[in-house]
Amino acid sequence: MMEEYPIELTINGEKIVSTAKAEESLLRFLRRHGFYEVKGGCEKGDCGTCTVIMNGKAIKSCITLAGQANGKEILTVRGLEKEESGRKLQESFVQHGAIQCGFCTAGMLMTAKAYLDENHQPNKVEIRKAISGNLCRCTGYKKIVEAIYAVAEENQKSK
Amino acid sequence: MEKQQFDFVGKDFAIKNVGKVTGKEVYSGDVSIPGQLYAVVLRSPYAHAEIKKVDYSEAEKMGAICIGPEDVPDYLYNERIVSIPDKTYRDRTVLPKDKVRHVGEALATCAAETEEEALAALKKIKVEWGRKWKPLVTLEEAMEDEAPPIHDYVYLGEEKVKIKNNIACTRDIEVGDMERGFEEADTVVERTFSTPRIYHLQMETKSAVCVPEADGGITVWVTSQGIHNVRILLGNIFNLPLNKVNVKRVTLGGSFGSSIQMNSITPICVALALKAKRPVKLVSTREDDLYDHAKYPLITKLKVGAKKDGTLTAAHCRVWVEIGGHNIQAYPYLGCVAGWFASLYRWKNLKYEGKAVYTNKVPTCAMQGYGNPQINFAVESLMDILAEELGMDPIELRLKNYVGKGEEFWGQGPTVRSIIRSCGVEEMLVEGAKLAEWEKRTLPLEKEGEIRRGIGVARGFHTSGTGGPNPGETIDYSGATIKINEDGSVDVLTALMDHGGGTWEAAAKIVAEVLKVPYEKVGIYNVDTRTTVFDVNTHATRGVYCGGGAVKYVAEKVKELLLNYAATLFKDLPENLELSCNHELGQAVIYPREIPENYKTLGEIAEYAHITSWGTLAYTATLRQKNCPPCFITHFVEVEVNTRTGEISIPRAVILGDSGTILNPALWEGQIIGAFSRGLGFALLEETKYDLKEGKLECKGMITDYKIPTTLEMPKLDNLLVRSAHTYEPTGPFGAKGIGEAALSSVGSAVANAIYNAIGIRFYELPITPEKVLKAWKEKEREESQERVGDKLNEY
Ligand code: FES
Ligand code: FES
Repeated sequence: MMEEYPIELTINGEKIVSTAKAEESLLRFLRRHGFYEVKGGCEKGDCGTCTVIMNGKAIKSCITLAGQANGKEILTVRGLEKEESGRKLQESFVQHGAIQCGFCTAGMLMTAKAYLDENHQPNKVEIRKAISGNLCRCTGYKKIVEAIYAVAEENQKSK
Repeated sequence: MEKQQFDFVGKDFAIKNVGKVTGKEVYSGDVSIPGQLYAVVLRSPYAHAEIKKVDYSEAEKMGAICIGPEDVPDYLYNERIVSIPDKTYRDRTVLPKDKVRHVGEALATCAAETEEEALAALKKIKVEWGRKWKPLVTLEEAMEDEAPPIHDYVYLGEEKVKIKNNIACTRDIEVGDMERGFEEADTVVERTFSTPRIYHLQMETKSAVCVPEADGGITVWVTSQGIHNVRILLGNIFNLPLNKVNVKRVTLGGSFGSSIQMNSITPICVALALKAKRPVKLVSTREDDLYDHAKYPLITKLKVGAKKDGTLTAAHCRVWVEIGGHNIQAYPYLGCVAGWFASLYRWKNLKYEGKAVYTNKVPTCAMQGYGNPQINFAVESLMDILAEELGMDPIELRLKNYVGKGEEFWGQGPTVRSIIRSCGVEEMLVEGAKLAEWEKRTLPLEKEGEIRRGIGVARGFHTSGTGGPNPGETIDYSGATIKINEDGSVDVLTALMDHGGGTWEAAAKIVAEVLKVPYEKVGIYNVDTRTTVFDVNTHATRGVYCGGGAVKYVAEKVKELLLNYAATLFKDLPENLELSCNHELGQAVIYPREIPENYKTLGEIAEYAHITSWGTLAYTATLRQKNCPPCFITHFVEVEVNTRTGEISIPRAVILGDSGTILNPALWEGQIIGAFSRGLGFALLEETKYDLKEGKLECKGMITDYKIPTTLEMPKLDNLLVRSAHTYEPTGPFGAKGIGEAALSSVGSAVANAIYNAIGIRFYELPITPEKVLKAWKEKEREESQERVGDKLNEY
């Protein structure tokens, strides 16, 4: 029998009390609890599809142990629409055609959200750097960067 | 050219992507069925070894359900059934019966309540190996007389075929008289080119979920580009009636050709579910996936003859491809490579010889272009070499010889050909040259400094679908059911797959345009094989042209029904009625042409048809396109070569595409840019290398060691210009052709040509890595300094 230990965390504003398996990654824990929006593209920390926000920071959930999330707040792409900054990014991705197959999209959005929360006036070159840990095989990234930049610009204007 | 005003075609909506930003989109690995077991796969550590016995009794004692070679049907099949049966080579079973043929080949499988338990059980499986052979990794060693046969015999259709020298199949084609053509030439150039195996790296790994049904049938959710072929294959393999296999269409997390065939894990999952009598879920790890498929490599020996004025007179093209341990589609591949080659330029006299060879490596399959980027690299490099020999501008040479309007295009090898009716080649070369400031181009000799900039051009194309006036060797048709609901909203039920490139958006716009229904009122959903008619696959850049063409045909039939029925309400003749979109009402309206104010909305008419029990305004049909129009592309690429580090960057690119009418402008551009990034990977970075001794992947199944372009390898955003040609394809839905695979075809060639222009070194082998650049640069410097010393001495 696999060892399990109790764990308590908040996911998209909802408290989850459960058990995690020894050595279980946060990605596997989340998917086991029905958060299928968090995607596993490599489970080795190389692709970024599994990115979620943990206490305000974008992390790769496949190389984070579930236990490390104990007591923390997790935001996945499903929770994005609850916040204005998240909604804006979602809309911008759709409008800019920044999505093709969509498998990288959740991770991209989470990386972008955490980045824009911290950096208010990024230029496109900085945005490119910020998302360089997230692979996308479909789009060639141009429209993703444009979508993120459009939100950054709008945020600035509304200030 | 026909000019048309459209209500929906050519406008961007893209609302069908909402599920992808809200996390609600369901991919095959996200499907979960109550009571499901989790499956894992045991893969071979050896490249070529005899299987004596697979003993899983210990694993089953732990409560796992297991399947080994002895449990799977004897039925030999090919995973890809797009070609007609007589031209389909069959060499595999669900699990190998006698021996493994590559490292990572699935050998046995276990399912248990959790993945951890399944993995623990898998460790208990004992494999008794017999003879082991040294892996045949290269083409040359595989063809040697003493080389161990990877397959003794296979089937071609129903015919048993003996395999000699591991040659899986060959294809030879002749047009005109090559010998005479070369005699007429003033200049002959000949070179050998090679392109590597690369890995698709679609972000979603291949997955399957299977539920055994009470009636003895199965329901499966799979990663697939065509659900009906999966249905037919599973029915054949497991001897199930074809209506008892229901394959669900789920969203694809990228594929690029890797799921044209039914994926090897699909029948493994089904076999487990049938034995367990419970739902089973199988999600490939990245390592599993890397050992599942790769892009066809190609070696090309190309010889071309031309007159002084640049008129081509003959070409001799010989190609070799090593295909790995199983033949997924090498025969049509060789045919297609011939077709791409034959359709690029007016060779007049040509000879083509193609050989596909088994090796002990991962089986190869289509990846965006089906041989097109591979052969394009050879042809477009050689055109530049020829231009230099002739003292011509590379663009001028291309303009003189390209195959264009009124000429024949081989859309899918020699048996599927049609006449080109729309062509933007000239416009793209001429306009592109202006945008890229081609006239400012300097020669390699005129450049200096550590960092050298160069510009290159290459052109390419791909077919739109695999239809010709005669059906040929490829199965190609699509279909749909379209119905108008009681409120005037419309449902489109089609098995047509969307890889994310916008096929569905296009199909919905086509229906909206025909029925004049607002785009948002057209629904197109994930359906299954039971509720749809056949669609062959979204491959061969056929989604919009063939799938969209079929959808348009069915929509027009529904329109006919609608007008006939409306005529009874208006007490008028159908031909006197007009259908248009009233954007203010957000409804399609119908009215007698003379009195538009007497309109009825589509909703009112549909509701009336309902309450009078007239019936549903609906139609179902399939359609085969009878042409395969090429969509053309032209790449102008600038490179910067750092001669100290060998690094190459792309400061600027101008890309022009010819897709006829463009249905989804933003996604069209997105496809071109996406293909450009994959093309850069192909040209500069990617290769799945093998260790020669054991036949294992050097990256060990991890993408940590398999680099693809990130944002940092792409040109700066503002320096990537995409433009479209002004064409209209008369045989396409609203004038449309494809784009997908065309977009990749000439990226590698343009990059290689630009590198030559920058540093005066011609590369014949992709990828052009910094190490190769550096090595070649040092050699060149050494040679030049030798020459300088020589020249100095001559002065004395
Ligand atoms: S799945 Fe976490 S980085 Fe790839
Ligand atoms: S949209 Fe497919 S991987 Fe990014």
